[in-house]
Amino acid sequence: MNNATTRPGHFGPAAGHAPAPAIALANLSKTYPGDVRALDDVSLTVEHGTFLAVMGPSGSGKSTLMHCAAGLDSPTSGSIRIDGHEIAGLNETRRTELRRERIGFVFQAYNLIPSLSIEDNITLPLRLAGGRPDRDWVSTLVERVGLTGRLDHRPAELSGGQQQRAAVVRALAARPAVVFADEPTGALDLHSAHQVLDLLRDLVDELRQTVVMVTHDPAAAARAHRALVMADGRVVEALDAPTAPQLADRLVALGER
Amino acid sequence: MLHLALRMAAHRITALLAVACAVLGGALMITATGVLAESGLRSQLPPGRLAGADVVVAADQEYHPDADLPIALPERAPVPAGLVDRLAGLPGVTDAVGDIGFPVALVDARGRVVPVANDDPRTAGHGWSSTKLLDGPRVDGREPSGSREVAVDAATAAAAGIGTGDRVEVVAGGRPAAAYRVSAVVDAPDAGVYFADATAVRLSGPEGPEGRDRPESRDRTDGAASRAGTVDLIGLRTEPGTEDRVASAVREQVEGTGLKVLTGAERGEAVAPGVGSSRSLLVLLAGSLGGIVLLITGFVTAGALGVAVAGQRRDLALMRAVGATPKQIRRLAAAQSMVVAAVAVVPGVALGYLLAGQFRGQLADRGILPAELPLTVSPLPALATLLLMAAAVQVSARSAAWRTSRMPATEAVAESRSEPREPSRIRTRTGLLLIVAATALSAAPLLSRTVLGASTTSIAGIVAAIGLALAGPALVKGAGEAAVRRLRPDTPAPTWLALANVRAYALRISGVVSPLAMAVVFVLTYTLTQTTVLAATADDTRTGTLAQHQVSAPGLGGLPSGTLSAVRDVPGVRAAAPVGTTTVVWPYQLFGETETEESSAMILTPAAADVLDLGVRDGDPARLTGATVAVSSEVARSRGAETGQRVRLVLGDGAQVDARVVAVYDRGLGFGPVVLSHDLAKGHTTTDLDQSVLVRTDGTAAAERALTELTAARPGLLLEDTASDSDTASDSGTGGTDTPPEVWINLAVIVVLLGYLLLSIANKLVAATAQRRAEIAALRLVGTTPRQIRVMMRREAAVIAAAALTTGLLLSAVPLALLGQGFLGRPWPQGPAWLLPAIAVTVVVTAFLTIDLPTRQALRTPPADALRAP
Ligand SMILES: Nc1ncnc2c1ncn2[C@@H]1O[C@H](COP(=O)(O)OP(=O)(O)OP(=O)(O)O)[C@@H](O)[C@H]1O
Ligand SMILES: [Mg+2]
Repeated sequence: MNNATTRPGHFGPAAGHAPAPAIALANLSKTYPGDVRALDDVSLTVEHGTFLAVMGPSGSGKSTLMHCAAGLDSPTSGSIRIDGHEIAGLNETRRTELRRERIGFVFQAYNLIPSLSIEDNITLPLRLAGGRPDRDWVSTLVERVGLTGRLDHRPAELSGGQQQRAAVVRALAARPAVVFADEPTGALDLHSAHQVLDLLRDLVDELRQTVVMVTHDPAAAARAHRALVMADGRVVEALDAPTAPQLADRLVALGER
Repeated sequence: MLHLALRMAAHRITALLAVACAVLGGALMITATGVLAESGLRSQLPPGRLAGADVVVAADQEYHPDADLPIALPERAPVPAGLVDRLAGLPGVTDAVGDIGFPVALVDARGRVVPVANDDPRTAGHGWSSTKLLDGPRVDGREPSGSREVAVDAATAAAAGIGTGDRVEVVAGGRPAAAYRVSAVVDAPDAGVYFADATAVRLSGPEGPEGRDRPESRDRTDGAASRAGTVDLIGLRTEPGTEDRVASAVREQVEGTGLKVLTGAERGEAVAPGVGSSRSLLVLLAGSLGGIVLLITGFVTAGALGVAVAGQRRDLALMRAVGATPKQIRRLAAAQSMVVAAVAVVPGVALGYLLAGQFRGQLADRGILPAELPLTVSPLPALATLLLMAAAVQVSARSAAWRTSRMPATEAVAESRSEPREPSRIRTRTGLLLIVAATALSAAPLLSRTVLGASTTSIAGIVAAIGLALAGPALVKGAGEAAVRRLRPDTPAPTWLALANVRAYALRISGVVSPLAMAVVFVLTYTLTQTTVLAATADDTRTGTLAQHQVSAPGLGGLPSGTLSAVRDVPGVRAAAPVGTTTVVWPYQLFGETETEESSAMILTPAAADVLDLGVRDGDPARLTGATVAVSSEVARSRGAETGQRVRLVLGDGAQVDARVVAVYDRGLGFGPVVLSHDLAKGHTTTDLDQSVLVRTDGTAAAERALTELTAARPGLLLEDTASDSDTASDSGTGGTDTPPEVWINLAVIVVLLGYLLLSIANKLVAATAQRRAEIAALRLVGTTPRQIRVMMRREAAVIAAAALTTGLLLSAVPLALLGQGFLGRPWPQGPAWLLPAIAVTVVVTAFLTIDLPTRQALRTPPADALRAP
């Protein structure tokens, strides 16, 4: 049984009259057909204003954890609370609406809609929720990830890294309380990766947003308040204020196990 | 390659099902059309009455144009009677019978006519010696002798309720009903009524001196004299085993006379030339169906393959990326389609044979085809179908994969998730050109006010719809862009998404809009062409028929000879004239080549001008005496046959005649392209009896009553109002028919083709929607609720239905307006008012159901799963 509770430490709000945590997962399991246990009894609490990194070898269940926690997929068993709202038992429509209101997701495979321009892709979730995009906010985001001038293009006309940055902007455009990012810098050069990481970190620091990010890069994970290490569907390690060498060690150790 | 193709195919069940349905339906219809065509050319009638004859000698009942299919001649051509004795003397011949047929019918005790069972009343009477041609008849009684005895076949005897030794009234050869004694009942299939040989010869000839001496009947006497010394056919019985030898000896004897020597299965041809000629109806039918069936089958198959290949674009593009050559890609697409087509084509062909059989049965039930005409079942139509379908599938699959296969691999992968931004220029231009060409084509009814001219209307419509299918993507894209630009910012997201999809997936959208539009165009143009031509024809006949009544005798095989004068003597009758129909073949020169056209022709006397107003433009129909004809203005113009010209025609029995044109008339649609003078047709028809008499009275009830009394007093006479029967005049030969058979045939064709089109459209829409799983999943992952997805899809369905209806209407409007102008003199067609609403409802329901159901299905899979396995 794993139990990892992340607290923002000295960066976060004062403990005490604690509101519901941003994310609370309890005994989460996901079994795929063929008896693949992608998640094995994971429990996890993430407070508001936390930047959490998730690491682990390929196939260890990171994406599955993110999908389940964000309500994109339903777990085999266990409970998921976002801002105190249980989403495990909700129907598809309610789950989608809740997701739209509170959650931004950067997919490992981007999932931009190929038929829409980048701009339309970015504003799509807002439009679906019936709201108007905040033009200034969107253009700030676009500028910060360096996509200005690419808004009229179709996703297929952008490089992989540019698409990834567009996906990041889309996830943030509605100012969601919680952002899940599955390897948001996987396809980026050092400079762009920095831009994106700075952006995420600033959101946490300035707007008290909650960010959960999967990454294979110890240097990126070191920008987080806390890092989880997963293996075989379980959380095997939780490190506060991790440093890159420390994380690299753990991962190498895991690889040798 | 095949292995790979199969593995990839397994992922695309719905799309491949659409291909399978398209191929199956197409194979079915092509095979059925092929079977009809082949039967029209080669089917053989049962020998019936001649089953006992080993060799039959008869005139050639076909006209053979230089470079075209033979044309069947429906009127019996005679054989010299002198030949009978010459053939009787040949070694091996045991019996030689000169067979004659003449009109006969029985009248039962209550004065009702009992037609001879399974036989044409015009030729049901024969001489006793003809019983030798029957195959093993059982005769109850003895040979009729003298002039007042008959032998009757068992079926007719049963229908009339008589037996050997009874007395029965018989109407024979146009004589008044007379009492006969039944000397025998003959039990053999389709046997007929037999008289003593001498009596038969007398009855088949003109009425003797005791007949009334009116001008018409005297004319007829002269004409019929030309048939004296002839028989209808000669049947030979031979010693067992000598048939072939006898047949070749006979062939030597008749060498150069144009007579045909028939043995075995061919003998059926000689039984009744009229029946044989209805075979050519099958050829005509197959010919007129063939074009539309091939166009629509090709269109549907290409469309289904387009969807199937489009659903595979990503796979194909990725294969390009890992090193498949463009040619391999096309081969893969084609191989995969061929496998599916091969599976579907087999049941399609089998069902095609069944459908042809069904269709024949329906035609026979409605009296359009003789019941005894069988279908020819050979592998030929199947073979033709296989070749045609294979070609269609190969071409469509390869051209559908063309773009993906030719692009650089990376570009192909990038593009495979959405659609090309710019629709192909060449494709758009070709489509627009086709639409323009179709519009030009649809002017034909203005130039030629004939059924043939009208038939270009639906072809023009279909060609325009094909043009639309080609130009569609560009048009849809343009419309989508305009719509998105005009959207207000507060438009609900699903609507905005739907319109964005219309713009971005123009290819896909136009792929479903165009077949729906095609269905609209097809139904509108095809149905309204029929109803408009029918209305125009009815209008022609109605305004052109001055007579209020028609007297005919369908059960007697022709009007008894005194009828005309009796009708004229009825008080209140202003005018009466005989009217008949026959067939003429008209070879004429067109652009230096000989065209041969067959058509029906009315037979009129000069007196007809008092009962029919043909709308004479030039000349005088009162001069229709001797070797003269009148022609419709269409024919006069297109064949250079104005008044005073001499024309060369082939009459219904194959006789070549020269005739002078004495009148040109305008109502060709109602009264047919050619009118023969009574004198000219005389002796060239199976029976010389008048087929019907048109009567114009003073319009008083008294006159009508008197006519009714007259016809009631004479057995077999039928009095009809011309007004109640729109088709009377043009169809007077066969008596009244309610709905013309073409209407029924066309209805059946519409139902079958529309069913095929709708099925294929439904399949295509389902497949296209099913292929959008990944797209739907992606939308859901970014936060679209299932409800919003469904609303979006319904909006798309609405756009599709609206676009299909509008374009379908627009494309049909020009051809139909021109048709209305040409036929009715006003720029809209004539037809049922419910047609358009019915079409609209069908299109809307089809679009909504076939989009909504697969969408619900797609929404059942969790989006994360759908993305992982696109
Ligand atoms: N639909 C599925 N059916 C069966 N097994 C699956 C399915 N999806 C994922 N898995 C398995 O679940 C396990 C966890 O997958 P997951 O995608 O969460 O890994 P990951 O940690 O994100 O790996 P990576 O770093 O490579 O992205 C893997 O073993 C994978 O094979
Ligand atoms: Mg992953």
